[in-house]
Amino acid sequence: MIRTVAMIRTVAMIRATAILVTALLVLLAPAASAQQDDPRPVIRVGSKNFTEGYVLAEILAQALEASGFDVERKFGLGGTLVCYEALTTGEIDVYPEYTGTIHQAILKLDAAGAAAADDAVLRRLLRDEHGLDLLEPLGFNNTYAIALERSRAQALGVERIGDLARHPNLQIAFSHEFVERKDGWPGLKAAYRLPHTPSGIEHGLAYQAIGGGKIDVTDVYSTDGDIEKHGLVLLDDDLGYFPRYLAAPLARAQMDPRAREALTKLGGTLNEAQMRSLNAAVLLEGKTFAEVAGVFLAGTGVERGAATGRSRVRLLAQRTARHLQLTFVALLAAILVAVPAGVFVSRRPRLSRPVLYAAGALQTIPSIALLAFMIPLFGIGVVPAMVALFLYALLPILRNTTTALFSIDPVLRRVAEGMGLTRAQQLRHVEVPLAAPTILAGVKTAAVINIGTATLAAFIGAGGLGEPIVTGLALNDTGLIMEGAIPAAALAILTELAFEGIERFLLPAHLIANK
Amino acid sequence: MLRIALEKVTHHYGQETALRDVTIAFADDVTTAVVGRSGSGKSTLLQCVNGLVRPGGGAVRVFDAPLDYSALPAARRRMGWAVQGTGLFPHMTVAQNITLLARLEGWGEVQMRERMQALMRLVELPDAFALRYPHELSGGEQQRVGLCRAMVLDPPVFLLDEAFGALDSITRSEIHDEFERLQAQAPRTIVMVTHDLREAVRLAQRLVILEQGELVQHDTVANVLSNPATPTVSELIASQLERQ
Repeated sequence: MIRTVAMIRTVAMIRATAILVTALLVLLAPAASAQQDDPRPVIRVGSKNFTEGYVLAEILAQALEASGFDVERKFGLGGTLVCYEALTTGEIDVYPEYTGTIHQAILKLDAAGAAAADDAVLRRLLRDEHGLDLLEPLGFNNTYAIALERSRAQALGVERIGDLARHPNLQIAFSHEFVERKDGWPGLKAAYRLPHTPSGIEHGLAYQAIGGGKIDVTDVYSTDGDIEKHGLVLLDDDLGYFPRYLAAPLARAQMDPRAREALTKLGGTLNEAQMRSLNAAVLLEGKTFAEVAGVFLAGTGVERGAATGRSRVRLLAQRTARHLQLTFVALLAAILVAVPAGVFVSRRPRLSRPVLYAAGALQTIPSIALLAFMIPLFGIGVVPAMVALFLYALLPILRNTTTALFSIDPVLRRVAEGMGLTRAQQLRHVEVPLAAPTILAGVKTAAVINIGTATLAAFIGAGGLGEPIVTGLALNDTGLIMEGAIPAAALAILTELAFEGIERFLLPAHLIANK
Repeated sequence: MLRIALEKVTHHYGQETALRDVTIAFADDVTTAVVGRSGSGKSTLLQCVNGLVRPGGGAVRVFDAPLDYSALPAARRRMGWAVQGTGLFPHMTVAQNITLLARLEGWGEVQMRERMQALMRLVELPDAFALRYPHELSGGEQQRVGLCRAMVLDPPVFLLDEAFGALDSITRSEIHDEFERLQAQAPRTIVMVTHDLREAVRLAQRLVILEQGELVQHDTVANVLSNPATPTVSELIASQLERQ
């Protein structure tokens, strides 16, 4: 009789462990096999996560492919900081940037400094202080502009930015980056003496907000494809406040000189009107970035490189595998750290509060900020994403472990001690098994949270189901967003169910937490 | 040899004195009941024997040597320990609870099974109960499992701390029968703490009476009943034994 019961439990544990280990190996395999030796030189092209960024990056990528390079695309990186870090740490070789942004956000020059710096000075600063090269500008100026609906602008009688001062009650919402940047709202407000207090809004959502009458005024880029579509008109910047934002590839100084040559050939080939129509083609006609870039390059006489078409199903499978890999490797690491830490802390009650507070503080850091913190330490890609997810998983597991151990009936503790179990035996046979249901519930919570948080990993180029979400947000394409959001939600539910199955496997029925 | 002895044991909980200068040499192979009102220090005294409480003053001797506080598990495995409310481990079956110490001592499966079945029969628990979990048993059945668990290594010493306290009188009476059978099975030094003098008189050969942490009388049951040492002892006898 004893043998039967003990054997059933042992077999169940062995089975569960085997499944987990196999699953992990399967998930890690794609990452391992991805490092293949390729005779062709590889250039890694990055992009920020808005339409024009994607289009320009795709143009750079295809131009490089036509010149015989293999291109690895790390698109959709979240913002100037992430791209800069990726560039300087060597995670990418080149990405499309704008001169105005370089002045303000990278070189951190004020208005006077920016005006004084001519091209030569700019290039020297970039090379000497950051190891970066600004290649030939592509040929257009995409600066900030302030936009309203044409009919509204006429009704209010505003034609220039300064006219807004006469209407202090207008609802203004700008993109987050614009509100924060020195060369954005703060400077504009001072230059034109505007009384408004704008809110922040995701750039892709601003157009819907104007169309729906929720806001009156927003910032746009002068080459936005949406401008015509939404019947917007741009206000005149008569004080010449906005600096020039010439688009140009920003590259590592050590990038292959032949790659540099290929990209320099693109200089001056793309003007403002063309850029706007490329953007419009993506937004209004639903063309892909690859198609639009291909058509443009064909027009300049550049042969289009071989496009790597990936089927939707294969994409979904790859992204899901990557998503699971991110979540569960981080989860496993968190279990290996948090459970022993919880056991250690539960025996020293004075330690418990500072440790739990520290873990709690980690949780309150907004996910994107935590991901960004990881970049200087770990670069971009899978590793910083896993580290961030690991840190997020710590608190639920740690807290549940300590709570569970603290709440063990003191009578049981005393009996275990009094009957002659050593400290280690007490932990192993009594305390940890009694704490197991709550610990497992904590692991389940951490897993489900991390499935959701892992969607943000796409912002630092780690892939996963966040990729289509990030792109979809930039393009305002609900279909794309769903391509990532629905599988992610399904994964979360499946994870919840899988853990319930594990609980039933491992624990006697009467001990499962929250049945 | 003297299995259990306390010499001038004193212990305080904060300001309160739990035990005051207690010296007792428990008689070997006999059941001694430690009796007294609540707060008299009975539990503390018992826990001094197996080292769960380390007395502030005085010495504890077990198996003819001072209690070795650096090797308590070894000493404790030679002293069975049963408490009120049983303290059965809820995540283990009856069988696992009973055989835990045997398993830790490296016994073979067959040996453990036989020992468990013998003990369960002794306390009249059906074999089928072995696979049940504690919460599926009644209070009386759990208490019997607790006794089996404490006895699995056949310890020469057996400590009971109000082990039958939480049971109704009918069940308690049944357990008393089983306990007597256990006592008859092999000679053992048994120290049982109880607030119930009638239970003490039925099951024990000797009595230790504590009052506010002090030893008031230690003698055979007959002698205590016929010659109570203090008025409080008389009162105890009167209130508990002569009730209608």
